Amino acid sequence: MILAPRFNSRPVISLQHVWKRYPNGTLALRDISLEVPAGEFLFLVGPSGAGKSTLVRLLIREEKPSKGKIFINGLELGRMKRWRLPHFRRQVGLVFQDYKLLPRLTVYENVAFALRVLGESSRVVSARVSEALATVGLEDKRRKYPSELSGGEQQRVAIARALVHAPRLILADEPTGNLDPATAWEIMQLFLRINAGGATVVMATHNREIVDMLRRRVIAIDGGQVVRDDRSGRYHEVLPAAAVHL
Amino acid sequence: MRFFRQLLFTSNSGWQSFWRNGGVTVAAVLSIMLILLLGGTSLLLGHALSQVLEGYKQRVSVISVSVADGTPLASVSDFMAELRERPEVTNVRFVSKDEELRRFASDPRNQQLLQQLDSNPVPAKIEVSVRHLSDVSTIDGLARSWRGADRTNPTDYQGDFIANMVRLSNYLTIAGLGLFAVLLLISVVIVMNTIRTAVYHRRREIEVMKLVGATEWFVRRPFLIEGWLTGMIAAALAVAVLLAIYRPFVARFQQDLFFLPLAYDPSFVVPLGLEMLALGSGLGLVGSFISVRRFVRL
Repeated sequence: MILAPRFNSRPVISLQHVWKRYPNGTLALRDISLEVPAGEFLFLVGPSGAGKSTLVRLLIREEKPSKGKIFINGLELGRMKRWRLPHFRRQVGLVFQDYKLLPRLTVYENVAFALRVLGESSRVVSARVSEALATVGLEDKRRKYPSELSGGEQQRVAIARALVHAPRLILADEPTGNLDPATAWEIMQLFLRINAGGATVVMATHNREIVDMLRRRVIAIDGGQVVRDDRSGRYHEVLPAAAVHL
Repeated sequence: MRFFRQLLFTSNSGWQSFWRNGGVTVAAVLSIMLILLLGGTSLLLGHALSQVLEGYKQRVSVISVSVADGTPLASVSDFMAELRERPEVTNVRFVSKDEELRRFASDPRNQQLLQQLDSNPVPAKIEVSVRHLSDVSTIDGLARSWRGADRTNPTDYQGDFIANMVRLSNYLTIAGLGLFAVLLLISVVIVMNTIRTAVYHRRREIEVMKLVGATEWFVRRPFLIEGWLTGMIAAALAVAVLLAIYRPFVARFQQDLFFLPLAYDPSFVVPLGLEMLALGSGLGLVGSFISVRRFVRL
């Protein structure tokens, strides 16, 4: 297995009173505090514009918080120097709704790209790409181009690319947003296997069926605030029976 | 080893981007080539002009002092000795009345005048060569205050002509430098825009590079290579065109304007070519450097 689980007592993600206001004045996040322990599978849910994607962008340091602190593996992102960013991003696997594959490169080259930019030798690249493609079940499609693949297969290539650095944290922003329910479920099985291998998975999603079926930790965000944090939650809050009958 | 693999990867990427960016690259190469051609032509013309000016300068940096008839030879010798001691003087030569008459007679236009003369009217001369053109006026002043100088026409000093020539030379140098600066600026802006377009075309690749942990300079390097290639190829084309037209141009010039001492100077061609290649590379690198610093950030 490509993932090497390393558990310790320190949370993988820790947000302390994080605020984010964009230069145009929009307040995207207000006073968010949360902790994600190692090995957890966490869903971020909420309506469009609630602040989920802003939170993901803050977690990969594409944006800096306006106020508050964000720690990933004990490193404070707000104070991280620009030259340390690449090293930090190699420790995080990123998966997006639009896959972000390079159309001119084959499946193999797309996954290898993540290692080639680091100057890894062909031997290392070959071994690790093969392992990542085996994990997502796409060894037989290594010579295909993204345009020759289905949406689910393209997302699996993106996941293989995210896995090739053997990250301990996977951040996924709407990874099933462009997929039909059956394919979305296949992709979720893949994320579950990655999580079972020891990686922490944080997934922003709109997919109610999947969230309700998996019953993992759910953090609901609305209006830039955490409105709910359930250990074993559903997409929508389940009101007590008494409240329903009122 | 890792560094060389990264270098190979980025060089390859820059080379591919250079060709993929087709239309914009060709337009940039041609624009910069034309600019460098203009710059190179002005350098060649400047060199030719400086050759011509140098010829004139050498000619006018010799001042002739007319010696009044009847001046004792001892006085002439003393004055010549005084001139030789001056730091600005490089050579002093006495030209006798007879020698001066022979010189005068050698000009066919003076033949008719000579036939009407029954004695030698031309004065003896002291020819003084000076180190710098600006020193001629000092010697002129000295000669005019010498008692042995011919009162009616003491020297052949043409103050205005020399001053104008020095001024023209200075103006041309300033204008050339100004034109050169403007051309350089335009070239840098062209490269900047080319790289900006390349960055736009490759924005997805850049985004992926950032996401998988490429360093900022790793992402920027292919664009620097692309900018360098653009400037270098433009310069190489401009040098080729200049080399092709320089010799025939000089030959034609010599034919039409034979009185100007312009000559083909092969020793100037190699340094000019190397300077233009260095300039093209520099422009490409500077333009792309400014552009990537603005548009490629992690």
